[in-house]
Amino acid sequence: MQEHILSILIFFPALAAMLGFVVHKDSARAYGITVAAIEFFLSLWLWHLYDPMTSGMQFMEMAPLIPVFGINYLVGIDGISLFIIILATFFTLIGIASLTETRRVKDMIITLLFLEMTMIGVFAALDAIVFYVFWELSLVPMLYIIGAWGGPLRIYASVKFFLYTFTGSLVMLVGMLFMAYFYYQATGQWSFSLLEWYRLILPVNFQMWLFAAFFLGFAIKVPMFPFHTWLPYAHGQAPTIGSVILAAILLKMGTYAFVRFSLPLFPDASVAFMFPIAILAVIMIVYAAMVAYAQEDIKQVVAYSSVSHMGVIILGIFALNVEGISGSVFLMIGHGVVSGALFLLVGVLYDRRHTKLISEFGGIASVMPRYATIFGIMMMASVGLPLTINFVGEFLSLLGFYKQSHAYTLVAGTAIIVGAIYMLSAYKKVFFGTVTKEENKNLKDVNRTELLGLIPLVIVAIWLGVYPKPVLEPINNSVEAIVQLMHDKAQTPEAQKRIPNLAETGTMNSAQEAH
Amino acid sequence: MELTLNHYLVLSTILFAIGLIGVMRRKNLLMLFFATEILLNAVNIGFAAISHYRGDYTGQMFAFFIIAIAASEVAVGLGLLIVWYKRTGKIDLDQMTSMRG
Amino acid sequence: MEIYLYIALFAPLVGSLFAGLFGASPKTVITGIVTSGLLFTSFISSAILLSFVMSGHTVHVEMMTWMAAGDLYIPFGFVVDQVSVTMMMVVSIVSTVVHIYSIGYMDHDKGFNRFFSYLSAFVFSMMVLVMSDNFLGLFIGWEGVGLCSWLLIGFWYHKESATWAANEAFIMNRIADLAMLIGIFMMYWSLGSLQYDVVFANIGNIPVEVVTWIGIFLFIGAMGKSAQFPLHTWLADAMEGPTPVSALIHAATMVTAGVYLVVRANPIYDLIPEVGLFIASLGAFVAMFAATMALVNRDMKRIIAYSTLSQLGYMFVAAGLGAYWVALFHLMAHAFFKALLFLGAGNVMHAMHDELDPFKMGGLKKSMKWTWILMTLASVALAGIYPLAGFFSKDLILEVAFVEQHYILYTVLLLTAGLTAFYSFRLVALIFHGNERHLEHGIHPHEAYNFVLFAMAPLGILAVIAGMAFKTPYYEMVTQLLPAIEYHIHNHTVFWIMTIGTQLFVILAIAYAYKKYAKAVKVDEKVESGFFYQLLYNQYFIPKIYDEVFSKPYLKLSKLAWKEIDLKIVDATVDGIANVIYRTGEKTHTMQDGNLSSMLRWMVIGLVVLLVLAVAFTAGYNVVNLRAM
Repeated sequence: MQEHILSILIFFPALAAMLGFVVHKDSARAYGITVAAIEFFLSLWLWHLYDPMTSGMQFMEMAPLIPVFGINYLVGIDGISLFIIILATFFTLIGIASLTETRRVKDMIITLLFLEMTMIGVFAALDAIVFYVFWELSLVPMLYIIGAWGGPLRIYASVKFFLYTFTGSLVMLVGMLFMAYFYYQATGQWSFSLLEWYRLILPVNFQMWLFAAFFLGFAIKVPMFPFHTWLPYAHGQAPTIGSVILAAILLKMGTYAFVRFSLPLFPDASVAFMFPIAILAVIMIVYAAMVAYAQEDIKQVVAYSSVSHMGVIILGIFALNVEGISGSVFLMIGHGVVSGALFLLVGVLYDRRHTKLISEFGGIASVMPRYATIFGIMMMASVGLPLTINFVGEFLSLLGFYKQSHAYTLVAGTAIIVGAIYMLSAYKKVFFGTVTKEENKNLKDVNRTELLGLIPLVIVAIWLGVYPKPVLEPINNSVEAIVQLMHDKAQTPEAQKRIPNLAETGTMNSAQEAH
Repeated sequence: MELTLNHYLVLSTILFAIGLIGVMRRKNLLMLFFATEILLNAVNIGFAAISHYRGDYTGQMFAFFIIAIAASEVAVGLGLLIVWYKRTGKIDLDQMTSMRG
Repeated sequence: MEIYLYIALFAPLVGSLFAGLFGASPKTVITGIVTSGLLFTSFISSAILLSFVMSGHTVHVEMMTWMAAGDLYIPFGFVVDQVSVTMMMVVSIVSTVVHIYSIGYMDHDKGFNRFFSYLSAFVFSMMVLVMSDNFLGLFIGWEGVGLCSWLLIGFWYHKESATWAANEAFIMNRIADLAMLIGIFMMYWSLGSLQYDVVFANIGNIPVEVVTWIGIFLFIGAMGKSAQFPLHTWLADAMEGPTPVSALIHAATMVTAGVYLVVRANPIYDLIPEVGLFIASLGAFVAMFAATMALVNRDMKRIIAYSTLSQLGYMFVAAGLGAYWVALFHLMAHAFFKALLFLGAGNVMHAMHDELDPFKMGGLKKSMKWTWILMTLASVALAGIYPLAGFFSKDLILEVAFVEQHYILYTVLLLTAGLTAFYSFRLVALIFHGNERHLEHGIHPHEAYNFVLFAMAPLGILAVIAGMAFKTPYYEMVTQLLPAIEYHIHNHTVFWIMTIGTQLFVILAIAYAYKKYAKAVKVDEKVESGFFYQLLYNQYFIPKIYDEVFSKPYLKLSKLAWKEIDLKIVDATVDGIANVIYRTGEKTHTMQDGNLSSMLRWMVIGLVVLLVLAVAFTAGYNVVNLRAM
């Protein structure tokens, strides 16, 4: 069973979703929780079996699909994908367990389980076509969730979400086909296997074009400025559970793909595009934070805060050193936990008042003290307070990029200021002051179902902030392998200089490094 | 003068051009079928000739395959044509515009 | 000894969690007692560590790894050496007193348990800050105290002014924290480590420009926490918090963290004396600047806050001039008498039903004898009259400036000493002497609980003896780590003239304050409407300027970014592209007129175009050389 654990992880939810059609409506919820829990424990077991000291792929499985063109069902995980997979199973479980939706619960649970398959598939795939298939399939359940359970503008929002990301993915698909073709030209064999692509050294101008093609697909998914405008609509219209999964997992596909594809395949292009992307990332950070500050809807504040944080992740990835990339992979986990929790929290308020407008609230801290406390903890995690999960990632990401550029890091570092501004002012408006609205006077504090979802997130947010080692160490080992690969493949002197050679320096002697 | 591959290909091209013009100009459905047949057979000539000169029989196999397809296509097509004629009494292409986009 | 270290560090955390358990429930005195008890334990442990350190040892433990990525390795490491043990003593003494005091002060407050949870969390963060053995560990505490300060300033969260002040404090501190982070980044990439011992051992090997930048960025961090100009406005506004919080956080401990940072990083600042001089000059400026604002203010707590700001300026002068032990000594002495002053002010506030304007009080010495005595003691100590604490620590800073031949700094500090004496006794005179003006408002004051007064007594004693009794042993202990420079004016005549002169000057200032305010209060309309009075009363208009120059434009710009750029440019472009495609479809759908013949024609045209393209693009195409690894 151990050698097929990844396939089980991927297809068990889908199989369970099919069976879900015959489950009775009333027991759908229990069924969903059971399946998600089994899946979550399977992923924990995967972590248990995972060898943190190995940097390469583990639990690899292969089955031929179209051997002539080198398309195989090839899956495997390393430290980078392992934790995002666990995050995905974790959030599916939490999402189903604290589901407050009452309309067509059975459909919702089936959709979520199907979505879970696609998410795990994306992060486990090592074959470009398999990756692409899961990548596109993940759009379908999300489209359905937004379109069927969303707010008044749901059709517009879901179509925008679908078409926008789909367009980007098509360009990415062309890039993948070209990549396979170049591999064919170089070796005489077709292959879509990522690990074999890694061995290919492309001329710099080819790298540029391919990087751009992949970039479009990934950047829209992240979403990077100026491709971010689908996100506020999607979040604004999606039901709570949709926003949670979208923010916690689906956005991470883009940044994960940067680490998995762009960096190791096109090291020279990555270096060449480093500063343009850094500019976009800095704009994302500051601009999205400002827009978040201006929002009147609390859910939009969290949505734009996601864009801002994703900017830090992008910056960390393009630091191109171990500190930065490890930090940004860790921040993916951190941001997943924190933004997922914040969306859940906003959902709690929405369920009670059916509005998300900040001006409708005020003084909530005195009617819902527990809720205010949990929201406060998560807000502080989002702001990046030390000993919370986000600080570790943000610190390492910025630290990493500081090596590449001081000025950009200084501007990007304002994230900690502007982040505090929009979060604290929103928190103040909602929770502090006196209760002015009559409807707010008798709001009920968080109930047990909601706590079931929130408490684990609070625990994780603090646990990984205090003791990130169990997660950070495997990530670090896998990232080291990627950085070393990039350095070995780098051709331009610029790239060779920017990407550290870990094999040579070993433990860096710092005093000389200053010059 | 010896017949070379080029001669066959030129013949094939000429036939293809005739077929193409027929496809574009003809307004009679039956004539359209004729034009398509010419197109297909132009390609068949090309397949068979290249196959012969390269000593690879895949091309000829393809030609047979196309003949079979063409035959069935015509059979289905004529069937539809007859039904259409029985209904409307005409087989003029300009009259068939129910699939307007 | 390690066990004492852990007790000193974690006892406050345990207390905080314990009180937090009762956070949402109504008042239970047990939380106050337990947290106070745990802090007392922490104090005892600190004292044991102090005696251990006095004998020339230090304790250094590494609890566990925190972050490790790439070459970065940051443990939770704690060090108890001469500097940190001094801070630990100050923190644990003042916080124990403040906790016990708060049991009385917060007696009727709904958030009693919550308050103790926050307060103990603050002490824990402060302990982390001072005990950490690396810069990032210090940063944990640094942000931790910022969080607790936010929680406690905004403790009465139904008050708009309180929550506003809390956010202002947090955000301003964040600005400085960014600078500090940048300093940490620089340190890591140039030295490869953030451990104090490694950094200080190798700091001499890197280019002096880098050291200069590190020094500047760290100091900007310190400026935020210690509320130095131009990041000072939050401190006065922070007085919205409960008074014990002001005493503990905004007088005795958190705001001195900046001074602690500079003292701790003394090997860095030793290499860059020009930055040190800048620090000292800024310190002198802030000392004067804050003192002038305190002269005219009509809010009891704000006056004391400005006085804190002014004293922090003194500390930075000493630290900037390389007299680190003097800075730390003044930090300690100041913590005692300033906390006392605040706690006394808290008693007055309670008696006056939260009235803060001293012009509405008067003659309170009758009904609040002990508070009067304690506050007068604290003010005398603050003014620097022999033999109280302030004389030894503050006048030492004057001597440092004199000995180092920075006469301008010296003059500024001397003048400020006079101002300090004046505003301190203006406050004492207004509150405790003269007519009982509050009777007009129907307030009948009463003295605070006895146990509250008893809790304040240790601070009173320390304010009296801290200078005289501790100076020599403290000097001997702390100079094992910090540069041991004694500041003596060798010429005896000059020394005596200076000492006596300063004392006379200060006493005159006090006498003037009593004369002007102790009897009847006359409001001089002409002075009050004058430009300088208005300038000082409005805090040099700085809060207003900040509001106009930063806050409002930022909000406007944010709205602009959202409504104009995001919705009308970025999103409109996306929708525009989609619309173009959609319209093209509408326009060209006539192609599909259903006529098979014309559709076939289109098909042929398309085929030809594609063929041409294919030929055009593949004509010059050569197979590229690719290599595999």
